[in-house]
Amino acid sequence: MHRTPSELLQGTVDILILRALAWESMHGYAISRWLDRGSDGVLAVEGAALYQALHRLEHRKLVAASWGLSENNRKAKFYTLTPPGRARLRAESAVWKAYANAVSKILSPA
Amino acid sequence: MSFRQSRFFQFPWRSRTQIMGDIDTELNFHLEMRVAELVGQGLTPEEAARRAREEFGDVEFTRSYCRDVDLRTERSVRSADRMVAWRQDAKYAWQTLRRSPGFAVVSLLTLALAIGANTAIFSVARAVLLKPLPFGTPSALMRVFESWPQNPSAHTPLSPPNFVDYRTQQHTFTDLAALQQWSVTWRPENADPAILTALAVSASMFNVLQVGALHGRTFSPGDDTPGNTFKAIVSHGFWQRALGGDVARIGGRITLNDRAYDLIGVMPRGFTVGANEDVWTPLDLSDEIAHATVTRKQHWVHAIGRLKPGIAIDAARADLRTISRRLEVQYPEADSGRVAVLVPLHEVVAGDLRSPILLLQGAALMVLLIACANLANLTLSRTMGRRREMALRAALGASRARLIGQLLTESVLLSLVGGAIGVGLAVVATRLLLRLNPETLPAMFAAGLDSRVLLFSFVLSVATGVLFGLMPALDAARADLHDSLKEGGRGTSGGRGERVRRALVVVQVGLAVMLLVGAGLLLRSFGELTRVRMGFEPDHVLTAEITASGVRYDSAAAVNLLYDGVLGDIARSPGVVAVGAAMVLPTRGHMNTSVRVQGEPADEKNLPDLGYVSVRGDYFKAMHIPLLAGRGYDASDRPDGPKTAIINQTAAHRFFPKGNAIGGRIRIGPRPDTPWMTIVGVVGDIRDEGLDIETKPTLFANHVQEAWDRTLNIVIRTAGDPDAATHVLRSAVKAADPGLALREVRSLDQVVGSSLAARRFALGLAACFAGVALLLAAVGIYGVLAYMVTTRTREFGVRLALGATTVNVVLLVLRQGLGWSLFGLALGIGGAIVAGRLLSGMLFGVSATDVTTYLVVATGSVIVVVVACIVPAARATRVDPLESIRAE
Repeated sequence: MHRTPSELLQGTVDILILRALAWESMHGYAISRWLDRGSDGVLAVEGAALYQALHRLEHRKLVAASWGLSENNRKAKFYTLTPPGRARLRAESAVWKAYANAVSKILSPA
Repeated sequence: MSFRQSRFFQFPWRSRTQIMGDIDTELNFHLEMRVAELVGQGLTPEEAARRAREEFGDVEFTRSYCRDVDLRTERSVRSADRMVAWRQDAKYAWQTLRRSPGFAVVSLLTLALAIGANTAIFSVARAVLLKPLPFGTPSALMRVFESWPQNPSAHTPLSPPNFVDYRTQQHTFTDLAALQQWSVTWRPENADPAILTALAVSASMFNVLQVGALHGRTFSPGDDTPGNTFKAIVSHGFWQRALGGDVARIGGRITLNDRAYDLIGVMPRGFTVGANEDVWTPLDLSDEIAHATVTRKQHWVHAIGRLKPGIAIDAARADLRTISRRLEVQYPEADSGRVAVLVPLHEVVAGDLRSPILLLQGAALMVLLIACANLANLTLSRTMGRRREMALRAALGASRARLIGQLLTESVLLSLVGGAIGVGLAVVATRLLLRLNPETLPAMFAAGLDSRVLLFSFVLSVATGVLFGLMPALDAARADLHDSLKEGGRGTSGGRGERVRRALVVVQVGLAVMLLVGAGLLLRSFGELTRVRMGFEPDHVLTAEITASGVRYDSAAAVNLLYDGVLGDIARSPGVVAVGAAMVLPTRGHMNTSVRVQGEPADEKNLPDLGYVSVRGDYFKAMHIPLLAGRGYDASDRPDGPKTAIINQTAAHRFFPKGNAIGGRIRIGPRPDTPWMTIVGVVGDIRDEGLDIETKPTLFANHVQEAWDRTLNIVIRTAGDPDAATHVLRSAVKAADPGLALREVRSLDQVVGSSLAARRFALGLAACFAGVALLLAAVGIYGVLAYMVTTRTREFGVRLALGATTVNVVLLVLRQGLGWSLFGLALGIGGAIVAGRLLSGMLFGVSATDVTTYLVVATGSVIVVVVACIVPAARATRVDPLESIRAE
């Protein structure tokens, strides 16, 4: 199993969640599966960190929550990206890409 | 639909338990989904559950973390929701009001008047009663008096030696300071001389008051000792007006009464010790102390003391009374029966104004209550008409609280706008009234709007809105959904709303009647005052104050020469009927002394009082005061000849009951070596202490023989316009001595009028309030009856169809209106009888239960009520029976 590196910052979890919700509303479990699959298991986020982040994002009005039915007809809390959340995703993505480029540039052999 | 609104509808407000439940549901869902997936991968359920929890991390911490975050979210959501709801209510209220401009205008006008009146009075009440005096720690400042042996409830200033004894022997004050008012003539180099009001004060005065100079310095210890007293401090106003606001003048000299004074300082703007004075000079008491045997019987020192921190007034009183008892033993002749009296300075300055201001504030609040009753009625009628709207909103899911909230928002919004207009009115009205009646408020108080007054008006506005809006709102929100929708929008007639409205009318009429009785009693008092036999005739008399100031008038001979010259000069001028002078003008008070009648036994400790006014020239003739016996003063009364006296009728009756006043002899004052005075004349009584004060035994001494008082008020009776004598007066004074100044040149009518200024002011306001109250009550009755007629159109139609005459219908409506009003009238009269006692201190010549006033008010109210009933009654008769029934 994959452990989230402890240095993976809160901010990173936030941006990953926002990204996950970019196309459609999802409940927490679906987000965790999506992250797992999308990163081939590298970025699997611990449930605890995921839900803490989700409630934090809801408080900051970057995501909105509503109750709905899951695929297996169970009551589940669905999260949707709000317009401010989408704006934040756009801004943070750009920063992350620049950062990742810089890091890989330094680390790649000359 | 925006996300915020969807949030608003999907999630009602959640409780803490609900939030916890939601978090558990969410987390359990996650864990169960993971378990199911792991079981699908072939794990045993137990193994899968263990794995899922392990992968998840700290479940308990996550629960509590999410709970804290969600509670915070919930709080912000709730406040945002409230803001949204309130904004919706406000917007809706605004639209509703705009749709009924008539209602809005009437309500706003009513509110503006009522709240404006309260604001105006409160701005005065705040300045006079609530605001601390403009001195350091003003609550520690006390005035020190002595009780008066003849009348223990009255008090007098201190004698100079007693003041010094109190000052040196007390332990409870940081210090005591003395003050005495006088007037000085200021002679600028290139302008006419002017008389200034001055206060001679102990050097310690400014320390006691804890107020420093704006420029320069205040007095230092020792400035009030012999040889050091030619120092002056001037007011900010005088410095600006007369010295051009020039700092360089400080340290220079100014000439007062022909003496050069060092100008050592300027006080801050608005500073006064109470006389609106322009100059302060040191008060040197050493001469008085040197002659203490005599001066201990002269009571003219006004004393102010500052309590030491932590000392209560009772402790200070006990301290001073110990000294009083010591003084009684030491100086029984002067001090027996005299006890120190302590009164907080604020009480002394504001004392007389307290009850009129509180009464006016009470009256204003009553007007506001009447306005509230009116508006509640109006709003009730409106919400009756809006029942369908309410029911519809309720059907669409608005909670009862929300409906009440919305209606309250409407009324509060209305009263806030009305209050804002009212505050504007109050500013204008207060300025205007104070400008018209400058003598109403003591100089120390500046009435105006400050943050506290504004806060008062704001709170009052909100309270008013809630008060008149709550009852109709509760009523409307209670409206039965089915009934209202079914009934086709007609409010139910009769029942609760109707009873409430009648009760409101009763209250309104009652309050209005109370106010009318109050105003009526004040009006009657004022009428009585203007009919008082003054004993003199104030028309066609010009008056002016003049002071023979300067070293050259240090001898009585010089003073006599001056006044003989001035009065003689004026008397010879054309248009002048008679001219005289008096130490003090009628209605402005007199000095008091004690008297002993020759040949009569006298209780040395308890000599009777005698008012003292010195006069000269043809004073009695100029004032039209009748000579009842003997003669007036003439040339035979020489300055150094035997002393002669003229007394008033009351004194003649009191001291010479056998009618033998002429030729009788009296001695005034406490000193046994004062020469006897022979009475040569008796004149009629005049109201010299005020129109509302009974005449007391008074001596009109001959100023020719008693020329120690150098300030006189000249009175000139003219054939025509008294103002025309002004230039005669000025040129006579200028010819006699160009260095002398005149002050307060005005007609005697004005002098008498100004003595009534405060009374006229209070009466005017009270009458305004009562008028507004009556008008509001009439509007209220009209409104209720008009509404009743509308709701009972059908009934009237049926009655008319069944043969009732129009007279029957009119009587029916009148009976309703009059019935409630008479009940209110009875309540109001009862209330007035109870509350009238509060007014008795301000009444003159009428009792608080004056039958005439009550009758007039009752009759007047009934007439107004009938008029208010007539329009709705007439409308009831015009109901077309067929139309009214078909309309159903």
